[in-house]
Amino acid sequence: MASSLISNPVENSDRSRESKKKKKKIQNQNQNQNQKQTRWKTKFEQQIYSSKLLDALRHVHRNPSSAASSDTPLRGRAVREAADRALAVAAKGRTRWSRAILTNRLKLRFKKHKKQRVTVTGNSRSKKPGVSILRLKGKKLPALQRRVRVLGRLVPGCRELSFPVLLEEATDYIPALEMQVRAMTALAELLTSADAGSGAAC
Amino acid sequence: MERIPGSGVRSGNCRDNKQEISVEIFQIGEEIRRLMTENLLQEAPRPETGSSFTALLGLPENQAMELLNSPESYDSPAILTADIWRERGKDQKTLSYPFNCSPTFPSNAALVERAARFSIFAAAQNSPQTSSVPSNSSENSLKLKNETTDSESNPTILNKNQISLKRKERQKKGLAKKSKNMGDESSKLPYVHVRARRGHATDSHSLAERARREKINARMKLLQELVPGCSKISGTALVLDEIINHVQSLQREVEFLSMRLAAVNSRIDFNLDSLLAAESGSLTDGNFPGMVMPSMWPDVPVNGTRRQQHHNQHQQLWHVDVGRDNHNFISQPNSLFSYDSTN
Repeated sequence: MASSLISNPVENSDRSRESKKKKKKIQNQNQNQNQKQTRWKTKFEQQIYSSKLLDALRHVHRNPSSAASSDTPLRGRAVREAADRALAVAAKGRTRWSRAILTNRLKLRFKKHKKQRVTVTGNSRSKKPGVSILRLKGKKLPALQRRVRVLGRLVPGCRELSFPVLLEEATDYIPALEMQVRAMTALAELLTSADAGSGAAC
Repeated sequence: MERIPGSGVRSGNCRDNKQEISVEIFQIGEEIRRLMTENLLQEAPRPETGSSFTALLGLPENQAMELLNSPESYDSPAILTADIWRERGKDQKTLSYPFNCSPTFPSNAALVERAARFSIFAAAQNSPQTSSVPSNSSENSLKLKNETTDSESNPTILNKNQISLKRKERQKKGLAKKSKNMGDESSKLPYVHVRARRGHATDSHSLAERARREKINARMKLLQELVPGCSKISGTALVLDEIINHVQSLQREVEFLSMRLAAVNSRIDFNLDSLLAAESGSLTDGNFPGMVMPSMWPDVPVNGTRRQQHHNQHQQLWHVDVGRDNHNFISQPNSLFSYDSTN
């Protein structure tokens, strides 16, 4: 019951927001952007994502060898990666960040022991030397450039993208993240309530 | 045959050579023009002093003004002279000068073409004079040599010629810019419907820049709508800051939630299906499946070590339990399971 109470207000607000945005967008922009804007906001998408996430979590618990079973931080990271992967799958691979997330894991698997460190340092070194030089000098000239780089690092797989493409990726990534947060909060609430419920029952 | 003093300068800077040659061309052209128009046209009296340079000063501007009205190029005296030079066989050597300097003065070939056109035009205008043109040329060659010697002795007048030359070039550039404007707009029309206004840059580079900036601004506007509190902020850098903060906060939330889920999950194994079913169902039915499901759970862990069986059982559970619930939600898990099994 608590779960439905939680889910329904989310539903309603989502649907109303979604309908409002749909009306606005149809007036202004293309159909393509329509779908993009409301893609991550529908309850439907969230449900899809939730079930995918469930399966991923199940997988994590099924195979404790992939992550330390008793260590919470490691498992937390495994859960996080599983959640990101589920999100990328829900994106159906249409966006760069989703593809990057899905391929990153493969890369890490192959290059696990030796090259993991190299990729980490390599990523930091892949910054343009101009930026590091300017940091030494303390100039604020490419302030915009710096922020663009930071944003590129935040969005997975978008490190060396051009500015307009990066903005496009961010436009898709942010609603996806928001949906992920909503789904995971709902799940966590359900689980904790079920936990408490079953604990009380037992 | 006397060598034109310009040839001596050839070894030097090619550009100076070009100017001197064009000066020579003008001189010759003015001579021809004068001869041709003396009889027929009654133009404004030009001071025909011993040095023909002042005449040269007068006529080129007049020519330029006439030609400005027409979109054709301006070098009519040069055209005439080039034509005459081409006609004359023994001037091949001197004619080679402009061609040698063609890298620096690329319009020479074009000048020759226009010379042909203009000569025809001029011939049409002054038909009785065409016969006189070749005859004049011999005179002109002599006069050219005289004038070149004069040109060397009168550097100031040479400068004036250069100034007129520059003025003509500027005028030509003005023309070229106008035509280029038209060309740019018409060439850009199928691609980008941009009408360059007066005072705005119509360079192809700036047009591309503008298109790029507009693209970026459109995307920034979308992002601003997404991120709460960004629409008030003006300035790309601050908006980007907000966006970065927002993304970071979202990622941190995901991190905390995943830790939480990991902690919770350690206790209960997949009681989630029941809860999800409850979520998708209606309010009143929320409790009933919730109570039904846990009783069925003990069967699952016994058999469910293998994924396939796990899937089958879950599918059965879905089918049994979810009759009341939304059917679209039913179809999704099955497809999802099939998708994940291929992973």
